[in-house]
Amino acid sequence: MGSGNDILDMYIYETNTLLEQLEGIVLEAEKESAFSQDSVNEIFRIMHTIKGSSAMMEFDTLATVAHRIEDLFFIIREKTMDVVSQGDRPALFDLLFKSIDYFRGEVEKVEASQPLDKDIDSFLSNINSLIAKIQGNPVQEEAPPPSKAPAADSAEAGPRHADPSGAFASDKNYPYELYLTFDEGCGMESLRAFMLVTAVRDFCAESEFTFQPADVETNPGTSEFIIENGFCMRFKSPEHREGAIGVAKSSGAIQSYQSHDYEPPAPVEEEHAPPAAAGVPAGGQAAGAGQPADASRHPGNQHAPKESLISVSLSKLDQLAAVVGEIVITESMVTASPDLKGLELENFTKSARELRKLTDELQDVSMTLRMVPVSNVFQKMTRIVRDMTKKLNRPAKLTLLGENTEVDKTIVDSIGDPIMHMIRNSMDHGIEESQEERIAAGKDPVGEIVLSARDTGSEVIIEIIDDGRGVNDDAVLAKAIRQGIASPDVEYSHREILNFLLAPGFSTNTEVTEFSGRGVGMDVVKRGVEELGGNVSLSSTLGKGMTTTIRIPLTMAIMDGMEVAVGDSIFTIPINNIQATMKVGPGEVIHDSTRGEIIKCQGNFYPIVRARDLYQLQSGVTEIEEGVLIWLEAGDHSYCLFVDELLGQQQVVVKQLPAYVNSFNVKNYGINGCTLRSDGSISIILDVASLYTAARGV
Amino acid sequence: MNEEILFAREDETERPSSLDDGVDSQKYLIFMAAHLKLGVVAEDVVEILNNQVITYLPMVPDYIRGIINMRGQMIPILDICARMGMPSRERDSLVVVLNLGEVQLGILVDGVDQMLDIPKANIHPLPANSTQVLVSGMCSLPEGAGTMMVLDCEQLIPNE
Repeated sequence: MGSGNDILDMYIYETNTLLEQLEGIVLEAEKESAFSQDSVNEIFRIMHTIKGSSAMMEFDTLATVAHRIEDLFFIIREKTMDVVSQGDRPALFDLLFKSIDYFRGEVEKVEASQPLDKDIDSFLSNINSLIAKIQGNPVQEEAPPPSKAPAADSAEAGPRHADPSGAFASDKNYPYELYLTFDEGCGMESLRAFMLVTAVRDFCAESEFTFQPADVETNPGTSEFIIENGFCMRFKSPEHREGAIGVAKSSGAIQSYQSHDYEPPAPVEEEHAPPAAAGVPAGGQAAGAGQPADASRHPGNQHAPKESLISVSLSKLDQLAAVVGEIVITESMVTASPDLKGLELENFTKSARELRKLTDELQDVSMTLRMVPVSNVFQKMTRIVRDMTKKLNRPAKLTLLGENTEVDKTIVDSIGDPIMHMIRNSMDHGIEESQEERIAAGKDPVGEIVLSARDTGSEVIIEIIDDGRGVNDDAVLAKAIRQGIASPDVEYSHREILNFLLAPGFSTNTEVTEFSGRGVGMDVVKRGVEELGGNVSLSSTLGKGMTTTIRIPLTMAIMDGMEVAVGDSIFTIPINNIQATMKVGPGEVIHDSTRGEIIKCQGNFYPIVRARDLYQLQSGVTEIEEGVLIWLEAGDHSYCLFVDELLGQQQVVVKQLPAYVNSFNVKNYGINGCTLRSDGSISIILDVASLYTAARGV
Repeated sequence: MNEEILFAREDETERPSSLDDGVDSQKYLIFMAAHLKLGVVAEDVVEILNNQVITYLPMVPDYIRGIINMRGQMIPILDICARMGMPSRERDSLVVVLNLGEVQLGILVDGVDQMLDIPKANIHPLPANSTQVLVSGMCSLPEGAGTMMVLDCEQLIPNE
């Protein structure tokens, strides 16, 4: 985004997307220790695209590496996965992971406009040695299926022009055909083909010849087709074809050309005619291609179906969301205008209702635009677990649940790190060091981490559950006391002890490991999640494992709030934090030694915070029986807030307070934002957790 | 919309003013706050609003009266009198919205006086031993209209 260069941005975006896709395929395949033919084709296609676009952007090192991997997969594609012996497969997977990391690293450098790594020789030799190994292996392939391309094609690995006449429909009006294939990996095949066509037009009228694919000029996607099947030109006269052959000879990157005459019902043998298999529709190769070659084979339906997706910059969506938010408010300002009070406006009311319905819909749609599935983030975790399993030599598997849960894009972007920390933590501290230990505990020798996401309508709950050792309360407490976080004289509850884990500078592992870092992890998790407006909680059973629950509001832009009045001020409290509301009499309030008020509800005691006193408001109810208590819970805080009255539940558009106001640290007092009410006035959004911290500090 | 009004005023005020033309000068919006005439550079003024409902904001210094909603934007409102240590007025007054770099800020004033082109040379520094805050210079107004104090807007923004 920051580079300000559209083509470069596009390149980075595309390459990263492809790498993610690739990583998914490789991880999936590693489980089965084999690539399906589909995945091989897909990897081949991905590498091909990366090669092409990197070459276009003049990142030659990237293009070279991609090219070699493409070569490797070309061989695998031709000879199927059997060509890689079982012994070599781990090396193949490792190589792919390494190359994914390499590409990622390089793309990051591109993004940061740093110079690329020029030294790729050792990397290339790795790939080359693997290729050599594969080729050295006796091919354990069964006899090629009869429908496959002629023997001449599969004999050598290099050229890959497909059975020419299989992919192209002949046309008796243009009987003199010419098939061309381009050098492997020359790139921009569609453009090259189009240049040929232009050259031919110099001496041959448009009506005198046709070519296929017909849309090489406009559709760069035809490159795939040309790589697969070659490029075909048909002429009305043999002279023109001869001319075209001349052009083809003089232009670079043409690997081979082949003349062929249209065969009328009675076949006429020509010296260059393709083998007898010509009439058989191209089997294995064309059909197995990543691109749906079938579609391109039918004239008139030349465009391969494209995903109907566009990428839009997030800032535009933000803008849209902001405008829609305004519209929603303005709509209610208009329809609830005080000027309309007491008027009988039947038609107006009807239209207003219609308008409300539409604006609600508009709001919903604009919200869903920003929603993306968490699967990308989750997929990355698979990789982390894989790497750590290898490094720590602790077998574990990661189970993903609810990857399709959709959350706001900004959340997806910032949730990766917290989840990663927790997964690493589970791997490092949770899962037992040895399989024997697990077996002795009666567990599956292979550890399991479950990463799940679910959507409750207002928030998304992400859980990281491991079946490892669980948290040893005594060890944690001892450590917390050593670190000076806990006091030795106080008796702590299980929950409080767990919360020490989230305290800054706490790490139970005596050694700093490569993965879990320096005990900053959990702290970072907590802070990262809180920045998103969410909270983290831990639960654990000794010997059974640990569960980390991350709750994050689905979107930060809109939330359900309860509007409450205190004197002249109006506050909005997030509905998610509200457990209950109640009216109590003065007799039910218990006073402690410092005149603090406590209330008992559902068997537990909770402190009362009076909003009026906390915020030193000029007006407001003072008698407990005249106001309302709202039982709130946020993170580890649970308390009752005393307000004058409840005004009602409202979906509100969250607005940040001006930076000027925030510079007075109002956020520390639970003043978190504001929202416009339907009459245009402003309500202040309270943050339940920091409000309590402030109240306790007062 | 407001800019038009401002320019219209400028046309009226520029001609009768006795100040020399062609001198390096700046336009100032002069407004009343308590007994003072304060000036701000007209370029910084976004808008002048009246009859605004100001939402009280707790836990901020007294001179911040609260925030207002200006077309969906939240603007903090400063009571300039209180900020400068003068008694603040209770009655509803005008809000002058200023755009100071990144920050938009509204200041509560008693009334707008005039718009005036003032040569830079006419603005004099405060007496060296003055304890006046938030003022970066002084200027005598033409036709005996009194003295304008140039409000130092930069100082309104708390530096982090």
